[in-house]
Amino acid sequence: MLIINHISKIYNAGSDDEVRALQDVSVEVKKGEFLVVVGTNGSGKSTLLNLILGTILPTAGSVSIDGKTISHLPEHRRSPWVSMVFQNPANGTAPDLSIVENFRLAALRTGKKGLGIGNNKKFRQLVKEKVAALGMGLENKIDQSIGSLSGGQRQALTLLMGVMDKTSVLLMDEPTAALDPKSAKVVMELAEQINREMGITIILITHSMKDALQYGDRLIMFDAGKIVKDLNKDAKQSLTITELLEWFT
Amino acid sequence: MIQFYLTALQMALCLAPMAMGIFITMKVFNIPDITTDGSYTLGAAITAIMLTGGLPVSLALPACMLSGALAGTCTGIIHTKLKIDALLSGILVMTALYSINLIILGRSNIPLINTASIFIKSDWLGSELNGQLLTALTFVGIILTLLIYLLRTDFGIAMRASGNNPVMTKALGVNNDSIRITGLAVSNSLTGLSGFLVAQYQGFTDINMGIGIVITGLGSVLVADAIKQWFNVKKIGRQIMLVVIGCTVFQAVLAFTLSIGIDPNLLKLITATFVLLIVALPRLTAFTKHK
Repeated sequence: MLIINHISKIYNAGSDDEVRALQDVSVEVKKGEFLVVVGTNGSGKSTLLNLILGTILPTAGSVSIDGKTISHLPEHRRSPWVSMVFQNPANGTAPDLSIVENFRLAALRTGKKGLGIGNNKKFRQLVKEKVAALGMGLENKIDQSIGSLSGGQRQALTLLMGVMDKTSVLLMDEPTAALDPKSAKVVMELAEQINREMGITIILITHSMKDALQYGDRLIMFDAGKIVKDLNKDAKQSLTITELLEWFT
Repeated sequence: MIQFYLTALQMALCLAPMAMGIFITMKVFNIPDITTDGSYTLGAAITAIMLTGGLPVSLALPACMLSGALAGTCTGIIHTKLKIDALLSGILVMTALYSINLIILGRSNIPLINTASIFIKSDWLGSELNGQLLTALTFVGIILTLLIYLLRTDFGIAMRASGNNPVMTKALGVNNDSIRITGLAVSNSLTGLSGFLVAQYQGFTDINMGIGIVITGLGSVLVADAIKQWFNVKKIGRQIMLVVIGCTVFQAVLAFTLSIGIDPNLLKLITATFVLLIVALPRLTAFTKHK
């Protein structure tokens, strides 16, 4: 369970250019829930994700996951709970390293990066199997540098990498924004599969209204730093794309 | 004549650890580190003072590497914790080291005559130089093996990824700051080792011996980079081996310029020009292609 407790993020507090990115936001996300977040640019949804990930710290309030308060920890110490898929596939992978080396690092997200050779036969076999499941034919290219792949392939791999090690929450910030429709579909279906089969909580930010309706079992909308809509699965299912678009006007 | 080039090879092998250190900071971590000039002389200064003091080589070696690591750690801490530009951090530590080296040496030059030496002095291999070459080759071999191993470990993968994409490694639980400090420490301990080797090989330590040595290291890495591009070398282990080859090519070029009778005072100018050429040539050819 992820609990956002009365969280605020104010930039340049007290000055003329004060920005209230988030204002006293509270939300509880159940374990295994697939939460979709929509809102205009600057509404605060990315700020929320960054507060959970730890790239920024809150002005007030706290974030806790599975009973552990994490909002004061630096980003690199939150890895046991939080995993992130970035909007730009380039952010989530080290381009000059091979596919298998990227996976090795992802598999050690919460663990020690020690002085043993972990990139061994057994691990390579595991990566081959995981990658083969994508059906992209990458299982025979695991020694190829990951930067040589297409954006769609990289993003699908990032998603797999995100759950190579144990995690409670998988954050996705517009993961398909840079992808063609076909790759976007592969990535979204993979996310759904991960959520269903591994029971990992997903928080997805998207600007695609179609994706917002099609995927996930709860939908919230941000506006001016506050949550203005919160729909459960049933309410979300009966929502139409026209109604959803009206929220933005 | 052959003797002349073998001497260049010997020098290249002595400088190879430093070049590999520069490869780590420049290519693995993307940090331009020029602490090198200081940590190289530091290694040589400690070697001189310990060996003339009658201490064994087996103590001088770890002392040089540790002090180099310490210098690198200083640069790393200034760079990561105080958020000062890597280049400036290196310059600061390098400048400070000049005084420290002078304090260690006590004067500007210490000859190493009739002191203990890592190099085999006897000529059982045919000549004294052969023995020296063998010793240096063994050292480079050991360092090469250790580095290749290190870069293939989980820690090594984290190091390389951290230089390649720090945003990603941070999200993957890597402390980019401490891994960078470690990288700078490893790199400068190798530089200290080069100082240790060169001091004994040339038979003296001079306070100014480190000036511009970073260019030699950079040049070696750039030559290695050019070879890497030509032959499309991907494997990290092979890339490090290329650095040793790059270092040798670099020294050979310098030896050649000296052999055709160029004034040794112009050596630094030639070194700088050679490095400029290596960097500029690919760009110039790219320019003509676009035309």
